[in-house]
Amino acid sequence: MFDFLFEYRGVIVGTIFVALIAAVIWAFFYGRKLIRTEKNDAVFGNPARALGGWHWVITGVSAILIVWLYFSWDAARAFHPKAANELCQVAKLSSAVNPIRSTFPLEKEFLKGTSLLVRENAQLSELEERVERLGFSETEKAKAKETIDLMRAAITGMTSPEYLDAETSSQFKSIEARIDDLTAKLADENYPGEPTTEQVAAAEKNARWGDSGNEIPNAPASPRGYKFDAAAKEMKSIASDFSKIRNKNENFLAQIEKLKAQIASLDELAQASPGVDELLVQNRADFVKGLTRVLRRVDDGNIFPPDALNNVQAALVKLDDEQKSQQGGLRFYDTFMMPGGQITSGSSSCSEQGSGRWLPKPSDTLRTFARISNPEIGYKGYPLLWYKMKPFGEMVDFVLPDFISSLVPGKFPRHDENGIVTPNFKSKVHDIVTGNFESFKVPMPSGHVWDSLLRVLAGLFFGIILGVPLGLFMGLSRFSKGFFDPMIELYRPVPPLAWAPLILTIFGIGDDGKIFLLFMVAFAIMVISARTGATGTHLSKIHAAHSLGATNRQILRKVILPNSLPEILTGIRIAIGVCWGTLVAAEMLAGTTGIGFVENVARKQSDYEIIWTTIIILGLLGLLFDLMMRWIIDKVIPWRGKG
Amino acid sequence: MKSIKKILSCISLAAVTGIATSTASADVNVAYFLEWATPNQVAKVEKVYDEALGEKVNWVNFATGTAMTEAMLSGDIDIAFSQGMTPFVNAVNANAPIKMVGIAVAYGAGGDCVVSDKSGISKENATELEGQSVAVPLNTMSDYELRLTLSSLDVDITKIKIVDQEPADAAVSLADGAVAMACGFGADSLSKMKEVGKPMLTLDEKTAAGITSFDIVSVTEKFIQENPEAVKTFMEVTSQANADFAKDQSKMDVIAKDAGLTLEKTKEQMAGFSFPSVEEQMAEYFNEDGKVAKVLPFMGNMFATEAAPAKDDYSSVIDTSFLK
Repeated sequence: MFDFLFEYRGVIVGTIFVALIAAVIWAFFYGRKLIRTEKNDAVFGNPARALGGWHWVITGVSAILIVWLYFSWDAARAFHPKAANELCQVAKLSSAVNPIRSTFPLEKEFLKGTSLLVRENAQLSELEERVERLGFSETEKAKAKETIDLMRAAITGMTSPEYLDAETSSQFKSIEARIDDLTAKLADENYPGEPTTEQVAAAEKNARWGDSGNEIPNAPASPRGYKFDAAAKEMKSIASDFSKIRNKNENFLAQIEKLKAQIASLDELAQASPGVDELLVQNRADFVKGLTRVLRRVDDGNIFPPDALNNVQAALVKLDDEQKSQQGGLRFYDTFMMPGGQITSGSSSCSEQGSGRWLPKPSDTLRTFARISNPEIGYKGYPLLWYKMKPFGEMVDFVLPDFISSLVPGKFPRHDENGIVTPNFKSKVHDIVTGNFESFKVPMPSGHVWDSLLRVLAGLFFGIILGVPLGLFMGLSRFSKGFFDPMIELYRPVPPLAWAPLILTIFGIGDDGKIFLLFMVAFAIMVISARTGATGTHLSKIHAAHSLGATNRQILRKVILPNSLPEILTGIRIAIGVCWGTLVAAEMLAGTTGIGFVENVARKQSDYEIIWTTIIILGLLGLLFDLMMRWIIDKVIPWRGKG
Repeated sequence: MKSIKKILSCISLAAVTGIATSTASADVNVAYFLEWATPNQVAKVEKVYDEALGEKVNWVNFATGTAMTEAMLSGDIDIAFSQGMTPFVNAVNANAPIKMVGIAVAYGAGGDCVVSDKSGISKENATELEGQSVAVPLNTMSDYELRLTLSSLDVDITKIKIVDQEPADAAVSLADGAVAMACGFGADSLSKMKEVGKPMLTLDEKTAAGITSFDIVSVTEKFIQENPEAVKTFMEVTSQANADFAKDQSKMDVIAKDAGLTLEKTKEQMAGFSFPSVEEQMAEYFNEDGKVAKVLPFMGNMFATEAAPAKDDYSSVIDTSFLK
């Protein structure tokens, strides 16, 4: 069923997206109309002004969904499912251009050569300053300075146009010509000609955008795609040739040779001088090392005369303009429909980056949700929420404590010579209390969601059962207020995660530790709310009950408890929210099952679809509980806020 | 109306400063682990990297390899030093544009699966593990080690109750007897585990079972394209630091201080590490059917998910050109 929905996800998502926008617009005008037609004389601050307004609920929910659909690029995919594939080819070209592009001040402030020059000169100046502190004799100093000057001259040798040899300039010319050629090809309608049979076959093999984990179909499949793909291949070879070009003019090479000799002799000098203290020798060695490092970088020959690359840059800009115009409407689609990131091309495949990556598409999330909801698949071999036939014996085992069998007199039977065990009364009792007997099976819910639910409910249950009486007691008795207050107030502000390491050693890896953690959270909230409720009872009501002859018990049950119910129920509502919030931390302790466990494992794999699925499940469960609590509050204390 | 204008201008200002800060970092940003002693920390402390690259090198410490990947994808980190294979494979499966350029650390004793003495299980009766609990940090190198260990001992992993725990917690559970076996890494956690148990396999047996653990150096593709010579220099300095360390280990205290470990722990940890030279990397790891070629597809399939299936070919994410 879901596969069928997924097949037509484009149409569905597109319709929903348009409908949502329409809903927001409609709700806006409806709201305006309502204000005009409604006679409302409620002043500012009157709660009646906040009543009603379900159309704003529609607006709010629609706005969230629109943002999600838009920023996850689900809307973009729905309206133009081929966009990613084409943009992938565009990304291939820009990735191929990148090695050349990054040397020019197109996105950066400076030409690469310029920043290299500045960097090397700065390091040389620093080295020059150091010369004074090395305890060199005058002649040695002069020699060191000469080396530095020579290095500067070598750099100048690279930047000066007169030394640039013909070969290098012709190499630049050929790069320029090749880029220009590529620009012309891009503009050509027929480039690169009919796709080969292999290309067509590859294009047919393409999955749809986001169909499999391979987010984006990689092989080109449209005329524009073929064009950019072919251009990218060509560009790759141009870029690789470009990065091989080195400034190796005669003059420069000669200078480098000279420098090498000079540094070697300086090194000898630094080592050979006897009677110098160790630190100074070390500093001199460092100085020579520093010089060598600069030399090795200068030796790369990556600096060229300032204007040598101008033509290449101009060609690149032309190429850029041409490829932009070739993209046509696609470019605007990318900008407006796929915000917050772009499609980048990696070595083996294209991928969505930015919000397209970490915000999974609603339709994909729904599919993942449907998939792991399938009890056959589940997550880590355990369903999300399903039922399991469990023998009745297991429940007996859970209820009856095992030590009952040890209370029965006698000994457990041993096996006899024939290897047969004859059960006696004691072992039969043992079988019953451990649930080890043939019994009928009952369906019981199981799964990650169920386990989490049980933990939260158990924690809440104990929190309420123990917290409410204690809170009431603290509100009524001086002793218990004074005695318990410091304890409660001391542990209450501690974040639950801080207890985690302790809980593991005390309770082990079972459910009890996780439940205890949740209990701790719920308990403090319940105590405080019950206490506030008890102290907030009107004295006149208690006096009235007294005058009518009520006993202490009756006053507690008939006056104080009903009066503190609003506070207690609000406390439960808050405790539920906090318990769900603590659950992820609790299940991080020793994860075996649970929604928190699913999220923790998915986090390590950056599996954002699963992560968002768990977030949505947690949110929905929290919302469900809250709605239930609201309903209970309405039924149990209808007088709330009206007294 | 005025307030709307104010908000708009605030947002645009924030956007502009955001752009300004993101383009301002021309330095080289390297991710590394604390408490993970490597010889290149000497070079890191002595600023050899900065001098050789001629740029400021920012070292940022991370707690997990997955976080390193995230930071690389957001553009905050260029080079991840000593990223684990598992997070790298997971990232590659998810189409992250990063590449492996070399081996940082090889460690046989870096991780272990320890069986508690109480359980009375050893590799002779390893199948008794079936039906018991085993603690392991899922989706890490330890997870990989656990699966290989169990399959080499013919234990059915589906019959074992796997408990997802960080190594430190796993050590506690092992001591409590809550689990029969715990797998983990890190000098502290492992020594605690070994107090109450013994490793399932010896180092030789692990090698025979094909369990080789190594951390890698990974670089974003963008950085490789734009600064190939910087990557080359980085690898050169690293291998020089490794070579220096092999000759002279007097600077152990520098490493210990930078790693945030005691001198003793550092020595202990580094005794279990090896730092393959460029030649060794090319001969043992990156050759045809070398360690990388074997482990990468294996792990890729092991950690493949519906959203991030294994690749047919992992060779395109390896770039050994910076080792030559």
